[in-house]
Amino acid sequence: MSKPIPRPQVPMEERVITPGSTCQGCGAAMAARLTFKVIGPNIIRHGVPCCPDQTSMTPSTGSVFEGGGPCLTGTSRALKALGRTDIKAVAFFGDGGTYDIGLGGIMAAAQRNENVFVITKDNEAYMNTGGQHSGGSPKYAETATDPVGPASRGNPSNKFQAALAFAALGVPYLATASVAFPEDLMAKVKYAKDIIGFRMLLIATPCPVGWRFDPAKTIEVARAGVQSGLWPLYEIENGTTFKLNYKPKELKPITEYLKPQARFRHMTETEINEIQVATTKRWEKFLKADEANQVLL
Amino acid sequence: MGDYEVMVGNKACAVACKLARVKVAAAFPITPQTTITEYLAEIAASGEMPGFEFVNCEGELPAQVIVSSAARVGARSFTCTSGPGLLYMHHPMQETASGRVPIVMAVVHRGVKSMQPDHSDLMSQQWQGWLHLYVENAQEILDTIVMSYKIAEDKRVRLPVAVGYDGYVLSYTAEPVDIPDQAIIDGFLPPYKPPSSMFYDDPESGGGRRRGGGDGEDRDGNTAWKIHHSAAEGAETVIKEVFAEWNKLIGRKYGNGMVEEYRTDGADVVMTAMGTVAGSAAAAVDKLWKDGKKVGLVKVRSFLPFPRNDFKAIAKKVQAIGVFDRSIQPGMGGPVYHALRTTLYDEVHVPIAGFVGGLSGKEVKVDDFIKVGEKTLAYAKAKKADAHPIWV
Repeated sequence: MSKPIPRPQVPMEERVITPGSTCQGCGAAMAARLTFKVIGPNIIRHGVPCCPDQTSMTPSTGSVFEGGGPCLTGTSRALKALGRTDIKAVAFFGDGGTYDIGLGGIMAAAQRNENVFVITKDNEAYMNTGGQHSGGSPKYAETATDPVGPASRGNPSNKFQAALAFAALGVPYLATASVAFPEDLMAKVKYAKDIIGFRMLLIATPCPVGWRFDPAKTIEVARAGVQSGLWPLYEIENGTTFKLNYKPKELKPITEYLKPQARFRHMTETEINEIQVATTKRWEKFLKADEANQVLL
Repeated sequence: MGDYEVMVGNKACAVACKLARVKVAAAFPITPQTTITEYLAEIAASGEMPGFEFVNCEGELPAQVIVSSAARVGARSFTCTSGPGLLYMHHPMQETASGRVPIVMAVVHRGVKSMQPDHSDLMSQQWQGWLHLYVENAQEILDTIVMSYKIAEDKRVRLPVAVGYDGYVLSYTAEPVDIPDQAIIDGFLPPYKPPSSMFYDDPESGGGRRRGGGDGEDRDGNTAWKIHHSAAEGAETVIKEVFAEWNKLIGRKYGNGMVEEYRTDGADVVMTAMGTVAGSAAAAVDKLWKDGKKVGLVKVRSFLPFPRNDFKAIAKKVQAIGVFDRSIQPGMGGPVYHALRTTLYDEVHVPIAGFVGGLSGKEVKVDDFIKVGEKTLAYAKAKKADAHPIWV
């Protein structure tokens, strides 16, 4: 399991090219900055279509939207065939490229335990094309393709729980992180980088445009997500060992996370309560899993 | 010369990969390509090719992405498929070609309306920017796969090459095949080096492919297509050079690489054919000459680039051309027929007859080609061909 990097040990150098072409308050841009600070030079960055976050000062490659998993596989196998396993195949994909159109390929790469590191910046919709529904969209969120109307309450489906789904494949390392907890995020990047086999880091990266909140509040929104238990920070090793990295004495109510975001403003008290109950229940399960050091489904 | 071995077409293909020292292969099994994947897996398991990576992947689309990605990093890569598998690859094939990634792919023909062979699979990928070569026998598979790496990786080309051969009749038919010496092939085909390194510590590192850069720049959207088209067209020179070198080195000749002419000297008319049916067509030509009917055969080996220069020269020597297409685009017709008519329009005026047959594995017999030849002779006499398509 990772060990948080104390602030004085965070590298001063920046490895992304600024200014980028992101929107104000872009969570993904923050995730890119933190990730590439600690990941080191010996990587090949992989991209599939997504929001332009930050261009990193690394060699980079990419593929078709649905091709993230195979693209990483090809790089990793070529590096092995050429005797350059010191170089790591690293992905920096969005939630659509990971949980939705790209899911099959990434899951197959995980199932083969390819030596690749998937980093996902999760902003819970296709923000690059205007905020359409993805597998990462949470229940009741209004997206461009889950409009609220007399016959619709926004997104009808639950958010894809990628870490738990991938845990079932027994891959070496899975973790969640948030831009509001940078020491934890950087520690996980650093730790996962040198593990051999399939690694995945899912980063909560709020999107002020798509989630419709004040761009100055990105960190506050991300922090409320973690503190309310909606985006718990945890690690799973070999599909079995479980560790919660952030355990507040008491969870904050999910309204602290939902209220600043206009995508949830149509939610009724009953609906909010439904999500609150599910979140609390899931949190209790995570606490039990943490105590047992084991994944509990 | 090397060793002779009796092997099926699919094995000749796998042996060619070994000779070319392919580093990464990824494929998904589909009839009639399946046994290539088995032979490649056996080669990997035998340990006789240290460092060779064979990826048992989850489908053809990922297979295409894997080999394209591996080649960009610097590993010589190979994939293979058939019919529906090729259709599933459609999207990333465009990216492989646009990224100028020189991989080689065997397409073991399986029609899109049945499991039996015709050329509808590879013909459906004409706009993908690949080079399309069609071969006739197991020896030609082996030779062409090895040569295709040299063509694809030539800096004047840098395009992926698809080598098409008919499923079942060739993929699963055993023939004696000569395996050239590895040392000769190593001299012919040097190790692959990508145009720009993706290794952070390589001073020549170009950082690989950059995404996103350039959108919104003031640039001409036609440029990339112009370059792509001219590379594909210009591949004709490289194909001819490489086949000439192979002939010198190995002693086997396939015409000039673009087309292979058979008994066209002094012929009144010629027929064209691609793939295995060219063998039956050649047998028909012999019978026709025996009966005093001067019919030659042009085996089209390269469909993309289309052998325009060769056909312009051939057309000047004959009074009619009978094109045999083994696929048809509904609403348009036979692709070789149309490519040939376009080539000769305003250049050479001879009747061009467009025969279509052998679809979904329908057998094309020597007698069928005798009829094609006789009809073409009649069209020469009448100075006019029947309307296209003429079904065989």
